[in-house]
Amino acid sequence: MDYLLQTVVAGLMLGGVYALVAVGLNLIFGVVKIINFAHGELVMAGMYLTWWLWSAWHMNPYVSLVIVTPVMFLAGIAIQKFILSPMQNSSPTMKIFVTLGLSVFLQNLALWMFGGQFRAVSFGWAEQNLRVLGISVTYGRLTAFVVALALVLALFYLMKRTLVGKVLNALVEDRETAGLIGIPVKKYYLAAMGIGISLAGVAGTLIIPFQAAYPLVGAHFTLLAFVVVVLGGLGNMAGSLIGGLILGIVETLAGTYIDPALQQVAVFAVFIIVLILRPQGIFGGSARNAEVGLK
Amino acid sequence: MKKLSLPWIIIPTAVALVLPLFMRDQYFLHISVLILIYTGVTVAWNIMSFGGVLSLGHAAFFGIGAYTVSILYVDYGVNPWLGILAAIIFAAIGSLVLAIPLLRLRGPFFTLATLAYVEVLRLLAIWAVPVTHGSVGITTPPTQGLAYISFESRQPYYYIALGFTLAAIAISIWIYRSKLGFHLRAVATDEDAVRALGVRTSRVKLGSLLISAGMTGAFGAFAALYFFVVEPDTQFSATLYSIQPALNGIIGGMGTLAGPIVGAIIMTPLGEWLRVTFSGASQGVNFMIYGAVLIVIVRLMPGGLVEGFRAIARRVGRGAHGGSRAKRPASRTHGEPEDSTQAENADATKEGK
Repeated sequence: MDYLLQTVVAGLMLGGVYALVAVGLNLIFGVVKIINFAHGELVMAGMYLTWWLWSAWHMNPYVSLVIVTPVMFLAGIAIQKFILSPMQNSSPTMKIFVTLGLSVFLQNLALWMFGGQFRAVSFGWAEQNLRVLGISVTYGRLTAFVVALALVLALFYLMKRTLVGKVLNALVEDRETAGLIGIPVKKYYLAAMGIGISLAGVAGTLIIPFQAAYPLVGAHFTLLAFVVVVLGGLGNMAGSLIGGLILGIVETLAGTYIDPALQQVAVFAVFIIVLILRPQGIFGGSARNAEVGLK
Repeated sequence: MKKLSLPWIIIPTAVALVLPLFMRDQYFLHISVLILIYTGVTVAWNIMSFGGVLSLGHAAFFGIGAYTVSILYVDYGVNPWLGILAAIIFAAIGSLVLAIPLLRLRGPFFTLATLAYVEVLRLLAIWAVPVTHGSVGITTPPTQGLAYISFESRQPYYYIALGFTLAAIAISIWIYRSKLGFHLRAVATDEDAVRALGVRTSRVKLGSLLISAGMTGAFGAFAALYFFVVEPDTQFSATLYSIQPALNGIIGGMGTLAGPIVGAIIMTPLGEWLRVTFSGASQGVNFMIYGAVLIVIVRLMPGGLVEGFRAIARRVGRGAHGGSRAKRPASRTHGEPEDSTQAENADATKEGK
């Protein structure tokens, strides 16, 4: 029983990070109406950037957030401005191809720059265990969970309570009308991409103390984030948070009780089961799903 | 594409048939066999894009085909020809997992599900050691002869591959012009409208999935026999057998008949050249170029080469006949790159009436 509880807690910690990746993806979905196939690769970019700062400059991963966050924010803006923005009126298929191309590019850029081997950041404090009520969690995982959760909640606050959030919500609802009443739509697209991508990058930083980086690591995160979004409902941020936590637990349970090699298979199985039982997501999605091709 | 002009079919086929008689260089023949395999897979992939569906799951069907023939041959002593038949069936059965996302999801979500399926099968192939021999892979015995599809020279491989590819192209043309193809193209334009007219769109889409997967399985099986070895990371490689056919298709022209063939013939040698040029220390650069090409191509010519040619032909034709067809490109100003299929669907509708 203790063992089960231990596994669930470990999964929950991981799920926090998945939620962080997924809310970013969901934000980009909702606002820019683009399905970012390269989202996982941007998590990977955050991982490699953190690893590089650590191995070349001995920078503590958590300190490197000061660099990773703005760099990834700018990366998001650049991607929107130079790659996605010219595709805004294209068909969904073409948008897939563009982000898919970006994903292939980034994967192989990583292979070329860093090689195929695992790049890990091992630093003492993050590997020590915190024991509470017979359950032990490493500080690295705990920090990742706490920071991720804080950022997800900060995004909730931004979306619900600030003017920027109101505008972003307006764009989620109806971008044509938003444009008509004088909202500088393109500027807010940039903001949404910047926020979404920087959250992915931060997730990469948070996870690197216990998950090594390698060129194909991103594919896993893209799949996870998509399943979370389908699970939680498109455009539903709270759904993404809960979906992320559920998936983290499912994955860790599958890894512990079935086989570590089959974690991803379990995630896919959950995806198929959700599609059979509740294709609109557990908590329901927005009515604008059709625009990105989900019905 | 209403009429199939016979010279366009006969001349390339004749050239393909006599080519090995003049070009005996083994490396040239090897590249030709690769082109034929990729043409076949791309043509099979394209059957789903008749219906406007973008699959990135064809590496799954390719891998299932490859593994089926290898396992049956090595572990159960089944003749490879029968193995290929089994590969077609198993690939079609394997594609049924994707039927659920295909019928529930549209657009990007389905595409992602297909991509994930490839990864899942790769992991399962590594994990299920008793069946698949794990990451070591399976090596087929070098017993030579037509009965085992194993030869010293590349020439027989070339002709077998050519037979398979021509069959695939014939099936693709037949489907395109059949009722199924007509329904598929209508679904690509407006699925809800088609459903409202009483067409069972789910059956139509499912049909295209099964046929496309079965055909891909056959090429996977042939490729396994050609390379003598199957392993999870190669046969279930999304880059090699999912993204590459999609790239061929988009460059040639997605949803058109000639597009996948043109794309595969251009891209396969280019890909081989890039792979050989950027190996060792610069590994990855070849696929970086692929990614960049993909981004650039959808921006510059979303309709693909075939559509580009057609636009030129139209312009020339309009100059000669005095603008009677000038209205057609008007829909294109809307900027929807799927117009290539839509323009054809307009044709198809006329044909239907």
